[in-house]
Amino acid sequence: MQKQITQQNLNALLDTLIKEGKRVVAPRINAGTPLYEPLKSSAEMITDQLPKRSGKEAFFPLCEDIMSYEKEGQQITLTDIDPARFPETVLVGVRPCDAAAVPVLDAVFSWDYKDEFFLERRKKTTVIGLACTTADDACFCTAVGLSPSDSKGSDLFLTPLEGGGYNCETFSEKGETLINKYKELFAEPDNATTIPLARPQTETFDLKKVKAWLDSHFEDPAWDSVATRCVGCGACAFVCPACHCFDIVDEGTEKSGKRRKNWDACGFWKFTHHASGHNPRDQQPKRYRNRIMHKFKYYDDKFGQTLCTGCGRCIRLCPVGIDIAAIVEEISKKQE
Amino acid sequence: MCDHSNQNIYLPHLATVAEVIDETPDVRTLKLVFQDQQVRDSFSFRAGQFAEYSAFGAGESTFCIASSPTRKGYIECCFRAVGRVTEELRRLEPGDSIGVRGPYGNSFPIEEFYGKNLVFVAGGIALPPLRTLIWNCLDLRDKFGDITIVYGARTEADLVYKRELQEWEKRSDVRLVKTVDPGGNGPEWDGQVGFVPTVLEQAAPSAENTVALVCGPPVMIKFTLPVLEKLGFSDDQVYTTLENRMKCGLGKCGRCNVGNVYVCKDGPVFTARQVKAMPLEY
Ligand SMILES: Cc1cc2nc3c(=O)[nH]c(=O)nc-3n(C[C@H](O)[C@H](O)[C@H](O)COP(=O)(O)OP(=O)(O)OC[C@H]3O[C@@H](n4cnc5c(N)ncnc54)[C@H](O)[C@@H]3O)c2cc1C
Ligand code: FES
Repeated sequence: MQKQITQQNLNALLDTLIKEGKRVVAPRINAGTPLYEPLKSSAEMITDQLPKRSGKEAFFPLCEDIMSYEKEGQQITLTDIDPARFPETVLVGVRPCDAAAVPVLDAVFSWDYKDEFFLERRKKTTVIGLACTTADDACFCTAVGLSPSDSKGSDLFLTPLEGGGYNCETFSEKGETLINKYKELFAEPDNATTIPLARPQTETFDLKKVKAWLDSHFEDPAWDSVATRCVGCGACAFVCPACHCFDIVDEGTEKSGKRRKNWDACGFWKFTHHASGHNPRDQQPKRYRNRIMHKFKYYDDKFGQTLCTGCGRCIRLCPVGIDIAAIVEEISKKQE
Repeated sequence: MCDHSNQNIYLPHLATVAEVIDETPDVRTLKLVFQDQQVRDSFSFRAGQFAEYSAFGAGESTFCIASSPTRKGYIECCFRAVGRVTEELRRLEPGDSIGVRGPYGNSFPIEEFYGKNLVFVAGGIALPPLRTLIWNCLDLRDKFGDITIVYGARTEADLVYKRELQEWEKRSDVRLVKTVDPGGNGPEWDGQVGFVPTVLEQAAPSAENTVALVCGPPVMIKFTLPVLEKLGFSDDQVYTTLENRMKCGLGKCGRCNVGNVYVCKDGPVFTARQVKAMPLEY
């Protein structure tokens, strides 16, 4: 379904949703930092900056309770988290690189055991993607097969028009339901021209070649040369829209407390450290290798997808200037 | 508990500590009985599978289920106190509550072992993952040929399941070879003295129609595999378990992988052939 919406009507839509009690998550400024966060009003939404952290938090929070416990004498009572408490959500203004990561994450949270924390939120969330009109040096979505106008992961996709407003295209029943419910805010598309979209300046990687090289180069001197300088801060994993490794920890006292699922990072030394003192990834290059392998080989082996959407956040943030796009490009060139 | 309890894959079952047994000064067995009647009746597992055990307030730890699936109504775990969670678990007393999630992972393909001879090779605290299988096989004794158990620890005091070692020693249908490292033997020691791989080589079990099941610290495994090869075992005749650090046990948290193999889902039981095909990341 194709429609058009003015900026004013988009704002009206978001304000209506907020008034109805839905959680509307969009890029907004929090203490100077753009982040995807729940809006109090549509006026808070910004469209000109890529949030510092990705959109995955709408489904997979940085830190979340998965149960609580209470102890009395020798008896323990556990209280489950009722998934009914996850609010109906509209995630809006999501960049294609963030929206595309959501179906990628579906794979891991739904294969075999079902993670209801992710999947319930997913079920209750409508994703409204927004095409990108600007890109910076770090953007490389086009290199991993996506683009500034890619609708992957979006239920409804907005493309900005010259002179204001957006073209809207639906890609799922959820998108259509939303438009049908608030029909009066949408108009039939006319021939308005869209604003020229961003053009990230990277060549397309041959992901098959990248994987082929990784298939046969677990041991290679290149790992030392690219990652000896990695400080293991884990920032790359924390800003990544597709990284999903987590820790399970108890917070509380012996009497009562909560069990939580917290983001973790394979770059941390402690991640694979055995209680015996043995650590299979005892050096930083081995940990960085796991990051690349997981994204461009293991996830593909298991789920047939690449665990990277080219958002470039890890490149922008890395304190020692490790550039995953440059590393992967180099790898693709090594493979015949 | 709300009625979504069966949907939250991270929510443990509660069990009561029925018995506490000190195996060594820092290794303890807990015998556990599920509190919910329905769980008690329905909980079933296979030898080789593991579970996540909760000490609430400290967290979860991964241990194999050390009792045999043939022994119903309870499960046992056996662990060394080495850190935060295991220290807390060690504080538990009979009547206390514990959380258990599982069973997880694959298991020993016991049906494939029917009609074959079995050689168990274990070192130190790594007897529990084989002990579940040993009892499973002994409880179905007719289905197997000769059973040999080679078990060693650094010192006499470090041997776990001491009373069961005596029981196996007495049985005419089991050959037990126990050993301690040189210097680890006291005046009363009636077993061998020497490292597990050396003692295994001397015991020289035949490889014909035999499977070997090996669990132990990495260094023991490293020196045991060549001995088995020398004795004529092919890599498909040898099984072991991997113990990469785990959190979820469910193939989600991304912690336990060796290359593209998720130890919590594809393992923890592997043949030597499978392990040799993996990158060195365990
Ligand atoms: C499939 C599988 C089966 C297993 N089966 C068994 C089994 O049957 N029996 C068994 O004993 N083990 C088994 N293990 C190993 C077992 O899981 C670990 O020994 C156990 O989880 C350690 O847990 P912990 O929380 O006590 O250690 P942790 O607290 O996580 O300790 C880890 C490391 O951190 C250090 N540390 C601890 N506390 C702190 C602190 N406050 N600050 C800084 N550092 C600290 C410790 O010294 C240790 O080196 C198995 C593992 C796997 C994967
Ligand atoms: S332990 Fe979490 S993925 Fe294996």
